[in-house]
Amino acid sequence: MPIDSYRFLDFATRQIIRAWVRREPQASGPVPWAPMTKRLGDATIALIATAGVACRDDPPFDQERERRDPWWGDPTYRAIPADSTQRDVRLCHLHIDTRFGEEDLDVVLPMRRLRELADEGFVGRAADTHYSIMGYQLRPQVLEVETAPALVRELKAGGVDAAALVPS
Amino acid sequence: MIPDFTRAVGVSRLAGIGYPMSRPMGRPGDAAGQREVLRALLQVLADATVPDTYVELPFVWPESPARARKGSDVRPPIADLLARKPWLLPKLYSGDIPDEE
Repeated sequence: MPIDSYRFLDFATRQIIRAWVRREPQASGPVPWAPMTKRLGDATIALIATAGVACRDDPPFDQERERRDPWWGDPTYRAIPADSTQRDVRLCHLHIDTRFGEEDLDVVLPMRRLRELADEGFVGRAADTHYSIMGYQLRPQVLEVETAPALVRELKAGGVDAAALVPS
Repeated sequence: MIPDFTRAVGVSRLAGIGYPMSRPMGRPGDAAGQREVLRALLQVLADATVPDTYVELPFVWPESPARARKGSDVRPPIADLLARKPWLLPKLYSGDIPDEE
């Protein structure tokens, strides 16, 4: 049976997302494509979470501004060292239930699981650094024009061959 | 995650999963389950040869929606704003997002 994308959403959210899905095909251009140039077993993989994960010694994602202007979401990103655990980070996201990621970071940013897959040779290497954005972006221009290119530069500098986005 | 929406936005490769938001990789403490989800999504990365590849992962969340939402009190600021100013709701539906509140 196909996945029901709306199964776990409340009624209001379901209606809004359906409206956005109906609108989106007209707004989007061609789907981008970058081929994998290495076998998975030879590739360095990074993860990008959308759960608003920030290291405790980094500034949190700005929730105060979002409270003042609910149409706005912090469009910046944070780097997360690969050996971080839930004790080293906080989750700054007003639209998801952060309790689960705070209990077990791998629920939203599976860095330990990726390391295990590297240990068994399924992927070549887990990146030294992973990343997080905060996924509530009604005005995504800054995310698209500034944050995404900056993330790509960091990933390339870190020798990453492919990144998996983990949307919460 | 909401696979319908992610796919509508247009992504090169998408692994859809029928898990509730806030727990895309599975339940806290379920290392084996999380690892299999990650393995399956990375396999999509390896196998896809064309843009807009969409694969539905075969994992099933073990709780009903009501049970999965139990105890959750997520109340984003935009919900409070729209409760106070419901005439702004069409802007959210249409994507005509105001520059500032």
